Amino acid sequence: MLEFLTAFVSTPAFIIGFIALIGLIALRKSASDVIKGTLKTILGFMILQAGAGIIVNGLIPFSQMFSDAFGLEGVIAEDNAIAAAVQSVLSMETSFILVFGFLINLVLARFTPLKYIFLTGHMMFSMAATIAIVLDQMGVSGWTAVLIGMVIQGLASVIFPAMAQPFVRKVTGNDNVAFGFYGSSLIWFTAWIGGLLGTRPAPLQHEPARVDRVPAHPRGRGPAVEPEGQGLDRPEALPDQGDREAPPLPQAPPLPQAPPPVRNKYRSTEDMQISTKLDFLKEMSVLMSIVMILVYGITAAFTSPELLAELSAGKPVSLMVITNALTFVVGVLVLLQGVRMFLAELIPAFKGVSEKLVPGAKPALDVPIFYSFAPNATTIGFIMAVLGGLLATALSAFTSVVVLPSVIGLFFMGAAAGVFGNAMGGRRGAIIASFLLGFLFQMIVALAYPLVGLDDYGIVGLWFASPDAIIVIVLMRLVGLLFGV
Amino acid sequence: MKILTTCGMGFGTSLMLLMDIQEIGKKHGIKVEGEALDMSSVKGLPCDAIFGSSEIVKELSDLDVPVIGIKNILDKQEIEEKFLAFVTSQTQE
Repeated sequence: MLEFLTAFVSTPAFIIGFIALIGLIALRKSASDVIKGTLKTILGFMILQAGAGIIVNGLIPFSQMFSDAFGLEGVIAEDNAIAAAVQSVLSMETSFILVFGFLINLVLARFTPLKYIFLTGHMMFSMAATIAIVLDQMGVSGWTAVLIGMVIQGLASVIFPAMAQPFVRKVTGNDNVAFGFYGSSLIWFTAWIGGLLGTRPAPLQHEPARVDRVPAHPRGRGPAVEPEGQGLDRPEALPDQGDREAPPLPQAPPLPQAPPPVRNKYRSTEDMQISTKLDFLKEMSVLMSIVMILVYGITAAFTSPELLAELSAGKPVSLMVITNALTFVVGVLVLLQGVRMFLAELIPAFKGVSEKLVPGAKPALDVPIFYSFAPNATTIGFIMAVLGGLLATALSAFTSVVVLPSVIGLFFMGAAAGVFGNAMGGRRGAIIASFLLGFLFQMIVALAYPLVGLDDYGIVGLWFASPDAIIVIVLMRLVGLLFGV
Repeated sequence: MKILTTCGMGFGTSLMLLMDIQEIGKKHGIKVEGEALDMSSVKGLPCDAIFGSSEIVKELSDLDVPVIGIKNILDKQEIEEKFLAFVTSQTQE
């Protein structure tokens, strides 16, 4: 019996499923909901691990090609894949850090002025795994790791949103939601720089006087808003419209009549017309496929014919390259499907608990909630972040590892840096912030890379992505140095 | 009714949106079943309507179900108005 229990507890999917079971029972859900929720959590977790397996396998030939071609090690920054791949060894620590860390978050939100509830599930999961990995490398595991890890996780859940909040207020014009994303510090930092170097900050969008001028949009949105009537996009109406950008954006509401002399005129990204031709790139799978085929293709062009012949085993090399590149994407898609399934059960439960126990706390939410405040800025931000990331890829060749363009991070954080940069320093602010973000995001990975080795877990070609998680890694390592580990 | 919500990844914004819609549904006595999905998966699943941020749902044309864009995903009032407008349009048909 004990043997069975030990085996049960060391099967990652069952731990998380068991936690879901307890949670669902505690929430007094119906029997069918309990069964459904528990099973979906377990399945989601197993899918997640399967996806990580595909990614790790897909990266092995790539890593071989890359080191053969350039004599360097190349990594892609992607947290979820790492988090999932270490579950075979660190599942107990990760799961309990995730759940107990949330409880610490509740306690902190209840009893301190940091009234934030971190609700971005995939970030909670990857942060928990990151903490578990770092502790493991410092020689701490089991319940000690859970105890230390849950405190770190709980603190991270309120401190990072608290630091970002002044900037969130600038973007949203209110104080109702917070930024629950472990890249927030890099986003507000680059936006702050963008504000220093950009044009004069916008006349505060949430100034009461300003809002009065725009009765049609009483909720204090950005200066330029989409035309009304797009809300109910009946699809059949769309093809006739041709270019959907055709209706011109309404002019930005007039600035105060006699504007004081300013350093330079504030220009928002939202006053620009941006082609919708690039919109297909907003679909993650498309974008990632294109980038990965390019990355794999360029690497293959420099790889020795012998290795290529060996890897493609008689088939055309070009097909092998494309298949492997797309296999990586498939792995990510499978992984995300798993994340989706288990978060769909976990997060509503967390939200319900937090609303009961800490009423009035601000939910800290995922990064895309800010995109609607400046849609143009997201496109500009993403493009600039990719350029910054490419520069970092080139420069990281002089460090211990080459950081390859990491699409997910560049996409989601670059778009946010565009939005925040625009709020701080207009068009120029958005461009500077997002370029800097792409560059720093990957350079930080290159510089921090020696701090944690993932080879022990059978992971090659991947490293941590979230800047805030890397800050936590550095801090943990520094504290570790004090204690001599 | 069955509602799908969508966003870039299918578990951040869309999950929040789904929870908001379910809460609104509960308030008005409408049972909402739903799923939060990424943009690629949202096509082809049977449902009564798809909700997402305006930016995202621009990409979803040629579907047989109503696609409803929310401009400010944080604005519960907007979500409620658009959801109720959709429910009314359904019952009239």
